[in-house]
Amino acid sequence: MVIGLPSDHLRKGRTMDTKAHVLEQIASNLYKGEDDVVATLVHQALDQGMAPAKILNGGLIAGMDEVGKDFKAGDLFVPEVLIAARAMHAGMDILRPLLAEGEVPSAGKYLIGTVQGDLHDIGKNLVKMMLEGAGFETIDLGTDVKPDAFVAAVREHQPQLIGMSALLTTTMTGMKATIEGLEEAGLRDTVKIMVGGAPLTAAFAEQIGADAYAPDAATAVDVARNLMGV
Amino acid sequence: MTEQIPIETLHPTIRMLSDEQIEAIHHASLDILSGTGIVMKNEVGRELLVDAGAWESEGRIKIPPHLVMDAIASASPRIPMFNRLGELTMPLEAGKVFFGPGSDCPFTIDVETGQRRKATAEDVRRIAHLCDSLAQIDFVMSMGSPSDVPPLDHYLHSFISMIRGSVKPNVYTANNREDMEDIYRIACAVAGGEDELREKPFMLHYAEPISPLLYNDESVDKLLFCAEKGIPVTYPPSPNTGGGGPITLAGALALGNAESLVGLALTQLVRPGTPFLYGMNTAALDMKSAIVSYGSPEWPLGMAACADLARYYDLPVWGTAGAADSKVVDAQAGIEAAISMMSAFLTRCNLVHDVGYIEYGTTSSMEMLVVADEIIREVRYIMGGVEISERTLAREAIHRAKPGGGFLADDHTLDNWKWAQWRPELIDRMRYDRWVEKGRKDMATRANERARQILAEHQVPPLPEAAEEVIAEVLKEREDSAKRTT
Ligand code: B12
Repeated sequence: MVIGLPSDHLRKGRTMDTKAHVLEQIASNLYKGEDDVVATLVHQALDQGMAPAKILNGGLIAGMDEVGKDFKAGDLFVPEVLIAARAMHAGMDILRPLLAEGEVPSAGKYLIGTVQGDLHDIGKNLVKMMLEGAGFETIDLGTDVKPDAFVAAVREHQPQLIGMSALLTTTMTGMKATIEGLEEAGLRDTVKIMVGGAPLTAAFAEQIGADAYAPDAATAVDVARNLMGV
Repeated sequence: MTEQIPIETLHPTIRMLSDEQIEAIHHASLDILSGTGIVMKNEVGRELLVDAGAWESEGRIKIPPHLVMDAIASASPRIPMFNRLGELTMPLEAGKVFFGPGSDCPFTIDVETGQRRKATAEDVRRIAHLCDSLAQIDFVMSMGSPSDVPPLDHYLHSFISMIRGSVKPNVYTANNREDMEDIYRIACAVAGGEDELREKPFMLHYAEPISPLLYNDESVDKLLFCAEKGIPVTYPPSPNTGGGGPITLAGALALGNAESLVGLALTQLVRPGTPFLYGMNTAALDMKSAIVSYGSPEWPLGMAACADLARYYDLPVWGTAGAADSKVVDAQAGIEAAISMMSAFLTRCNLVHDVGYIEYGTTSSMEMLVVADEIIREVRYIMGGVEISERTLAREAIHRAKPGGGFLADDHTLDNWKWAQWRPELIDRMRYDRWVEKGRKDMATRANERARQILAEHQVPPLPEAAEEVIAEVLKEREDSAKRTT
């Protein structure tokens, strides 16, 4: 799917008629991963006097939302999403210093890691990248994360969500141990817990007392949003 | 008349890389090792490399070419593998190709109900049992992680189930050194002692480093254990294109080659001549679903290139074929298995694993194994080439034949039909009406029936009593230590 106007339209140097228009242009160029064009357009919007927060929400995030939707529907390839995310960063780099404290919107704070004994991280990293694209602030604990380390990180960072990844039947049990650790520390109710990985099932997630399971990265974003009540 | 020397039959092979391409990959790999370096998490591994001339810089270990070349020179070009009865059935050496299943799938397709469910220790035994009977399957692997035993005992139970289920050589996986030790004890009891096991190894260990360039503690520890005991071992990295490896196959090969050669070097530093099976897994990370694709053409392409590299180093080589991304045994699964197994044969990959995987290595299927057995038979027939000789040129039969009349009843046909044509066993060539009469069965249905028949009828010689005793001992010790820790 294509939204807005094609980017070569912009390269030809046509000026924007309305403010709404420039936001659409940002979104559509972000969708196509045109990072330089997105940066130029963000400057243009600022020059027009548009508020940074408005550019962020109406342009960058709106564009990334479309990307997320189409990835979920199977219309986009992973690199297309990552190229779009690169364009998002190009815009964010300009806006971030201009945004007031508290104006940087976050869909939620998400702590993620691969459980103890497990070194698989390709899937975990992809989930993280997709969450970031959807506006979550992520904290990545890496691989081989012991239950204690999860608990300590929850205490330190106070995330709303935790994601645990396990690709091995031998390490899946680490998820339950982590949940128990959080219970003991009195932190279980402060977070929603998501789990994923090849040997997992929704039934397993329920059985160990997790809040949700997601079979892939695109679903993970939706599930995370649901858990945040968005 | 002087007896003439027969015309040699050409057996087709493929080469994927030219000499120049091989050298270029080899050089890139050496540059990766000496210029970029590896991360080594195992202390003994680190010391071995540094003592042999590697150096540490910027948190990496950098490995000079001579260290790698010495290892290649001291490695054995062949690994003779035996079955557990002490017969040499699988000499991993130039020109030979052996097939077998893969390890550790979390799920299996229940052969009775057709349901996808968690694998059990009994599944591992039954799949080994099936493989024991399938003529084209040369070795066994677990094909499942038993969900009905404590997680840390998965690999131990898998090993026990494999050797109970089949006499064929096996390729086994393990969690850590403790597993390795327990498995080794059992294996010694099966072989009749440590020396017997070393002389006639019936098992080969499979561990892996983590691409790119990370050597985690446990995997190196398992590798070193094998070198200490003389257990044949493979240590293939998985530079999956776009995932663990660069998106381009050349880069994945250069990286995988570098990583595999470090594994080789570690074993040779512990014990020169340690039987080491060279190889790498070059599947593609699918950019839509983000699965690591077991049916991707990148895999056979990479395997063929990898086999060329192995020949250049004069090392036996590991590969992958007969696996599918399909969730069921259907046309897609057949295509994926046939293309990869044909490639494996053409490239003369020595030990080809993962036969019978479906759902990109998440699920095992007995039907898929039975189908693969048929594909291997057919591919093998093609590899036979075309014999050109007096008996096959059929001069007299052609001379005799009535123009336009055919050869069906000719003596030459009647004398040679049995060997001159391939005959299917599972593939269906019935005429339509008969096929309907026989129940309109598709390939997967016939494979299912065959698998169940084998399970019901095939007999496997039991393990020596001494081995069962050691198994009981080991399991008891595990139970006791589990009780102690809880
Ligand atoms: C690549 C791979 C490896 C690489 C890992 C490299 C890395 N940096 O991650 C290497 C080669 C190192 C490796 C090692 C091993 N592996 Co491995 N590996 C795989 C393989 C082929 C693909 C996994 C992958 O990366 N897929 C691509 C990513 C994008 O997908 P994904 O991981 O499934 O993630 C997606 C979803 O699951 C979900 N998800 C994942 N995590 C999370 C988390 C949250 C919170 C959410 C919401 C969602 C979510 O979203 C992701 C994105 O869409 C699988 C096969 C398979 N069928 O999965 C085997 C597999 C997982 N490995 C397996 C095994 C056995 C091992 C080893 C033990 C082998 C050995 N004997 O040494 C070691 C273990 C090392 C260790 N201690 O961890 C088995 C596991 C079997 C089992 N029963 O447990 C599998 C199934 C293969 C098999 N059949 O044997 N492996």
